[in-house]
Amino acid sequence: MIEIKNVSKIYDGNIVALQDINLRFKEGELIILKGVSGSGKSTILSLIAGLSKPTLGEITVDKKKISKLPDHFAASYRRDNIGIVFQKYNLIPTLSVTENVLLPLFPLNLPRELMKEKSSNVLQKFSIEHKANVIVKNLSGGEQQRVAIARANINDPKIILADEPTANLDEKLSLEFIEILRELKSKKRTIIIATHDPLFFDLDIVDRTVSIEHGKLL
Amino acid sequence: MNKINFYLLEYAYAYIKRNKNKNIFIVTVFTLLVALLSSVFFITTTVEHEMKERISYKPDIVVQAYKAGMQSSVDSALLDKLLEINGISSGHLRVEGTYDFRAKNRLFYLYGVAPFEDQEDPFIEQVLQNEALNSSQMLVSDSVKESMHQAYYDKYFNFIKPDGSLQKVFIKKSFPVHKRIELQNLILLDQDTLRKIFGYSENEGSDIALSVANKNELDFITSKIRLMLPNAKVVSKNDLNVMYEKLFDYDSGVFLSLFVIAIFTFFIIIYDKANGLSSEEKREIGILKAIGWRVEDVLHAKFYEAAIISFFSFFTGLLIAFVYVFIFKAPLLGEIFMHNTLLDIHTFNLDFYLELSYTLLIFLLSVPVYIAATLIPSWRVATLDADEVMR
Ligand SMILES: Nc1ncnc2c1ncn2[C@@H]1O[C@H](COP(=O)(O)OP(=O)(O)OP(=O)(O)O)[C@@H](O)[C@H]1O
Ligand SMILES: [Mg+2]
Repeated sequence: MIEIKNVSKIYDGNIVALQDINLRFKEGELIILKGVSGSGKSTILSLIAGLSKPTLGEITVDKKKISKLPDHFAASYRRDNIGIVFQKYNLIPTLSVTENVLLPLFPLNLPRELMKEKSSNVLQKFSIEHKANVIVKNLSGGEQQRVAIARANINDPKIILADEPTANLDEKLSLEFIEILRELKSKKRTIIIATHDPLFFDLDIVDRTVSIEHGKLL
Repeated sequence: MNKINFYLLEYAYAYIKRNKNKNIFIVTVFTLLVALLSSVFFITTTVEHEMKERISYKPDIVVQAYKAGMQSSVDSALLDKLLEINGISSGHLRVEGTYDFRAKNRLFYLYGVAPFEDQEDPFIEQVLQNEALNSSQMLVSDSVKESMHQAYYDKYFNFIKPDGSLQKVFIKKSFPVHKRIELQNLILLDQDTLRKIFGYSENEGSDIALSVANKNELDFITSKIRLMLPNAKVVSKNDLNVMYEKLFDYDSGVFLSLFVIAIFTFFIIIYDKANGLSSEEKREIGILKAIGWRVEDVLHAKFYEAAIISFFSFFTGLLIAFVYVFIFKAPLLGEIFMHNTLLDIHTFNLDFYLELSYTLLIFLLSVPVYIAATLIPSWRVATLDADEVMR
């Protein structure tokens, strides 16, 4: 369960990105964060991921106070619980698909066979195994996004955060992405998607849509 | 960090390859720097080492007489006087000196041998073994023989005495000098014959060589002789060692090169730092953190990256210096660095000799400094909030 309590985020002392936000998401829910550019969607995702700390207020995930975690533990928390699909994918363009997907696990120094097994599982699941050894920069946009989703799922995270996941996809690929969401939801993942793509607004699998404007909930 | 993480190592290696141009530049500068410095240290330490070995073959104390500021011959009466000093175990009058061979523009080194006399230098001792020289015979090095041959002297050589008359001496045999290339001008001949060539009378010699029974007393006895003979020049083995040590320790070239390494190392570091981390590099660290790497994981990978570059550069540089100095015998640089010591680099063997402390010094000046210069900016970026990657 994710709980956001009285959270404000102020950048550089005067840019108010979020103002007194209160939200509560249950496990297995699929939530859409909706709002125009600059409304604060990505900021909420950052806070839930522990990538930054709220200026005021508190964020709790499974009774753990994320907003109070020192950097070191915040990273471990992300590795064990969170998968992020970034708006710009944020892959390492010169590494292969497999290497990109396994990147989050590199510091764990796991046995080669286990790594191989994990990567082939996840590549298969997101239908990109035929490109396993291709260098990422040679992939199409849709393929890159599959790699990004595969990477976000390499550690079976409970929570998946996706920032504008369909911004760079055509309609066909966007619909494919929604199928992937359906699959993930069936596995009881908590999914939070920041988007202003109307495609998501009347989707059957969406449990809740939260609208933000100028850093405030509507 | 006690076990090598090969995933991070591979990641670091891939990272280096991705920034190929920049890293090739750094590796090149780094390698050349280490090669240059190691070469200088290899040259100076090896020459010093060989110099000390040569000194070890010299007599404990050499006494030369001076008249009107010029070196003159010594009389055997002086030897008798010196042998009375406590602590001096033995001594002998030496007849030796250079002879200018004009035809080949070359200086021969003539060394007079008295029958049944022991030699300080084991090489001369060995050459003389089983070679009884009569008064008109000499032993010459192969190289001297070659010079004489070029001047059409194959069986004998005519030395010109101070009065202009000739002294004919036959070449009995020639000998190879092997590693003792400082002896390549050596001619060994009967002491009395050499007296005639130098114009000495019967009880004169060029200097006096003394042995000291207890080497700890060497300095004390040396200064005692100096007090006794204010006009003489008294040189002990210890003096020679100190002189050559100073020659290299305070040789400005060595310090200049140290200065150069410092500048270059800082140049690399400053290049790296001034460029700081590019926005791409920063973003990549942000991505790694966002997908669950801790700061120490990022630094672990960066450590590998810097270690690969610095170790590779260091050992390549060392290898280049090794080949350059010990295999190619340090052309150019050797001449430059020996220039102000007045020693001729070509009279040294430059056989492999390693003084670990200097290599260690170069290592410490370069490798850890480079690693630190890589880690610090990465650490700064890695400890910042990574929410930039969401934008
Ligand atoms: N690191 C930062 N420093 C300064 N201002 C920031 C920073 N991050 C976000 N902001 C500001 O906070 C506000 C909210 O930004 P945020 O990225 O959350 O919006 P968004 O809803 O994700 O917009 P978009 O749809 O364009 O991605 C914006 O005004 C933005 O300029
Ligand atoms: Mg955004």
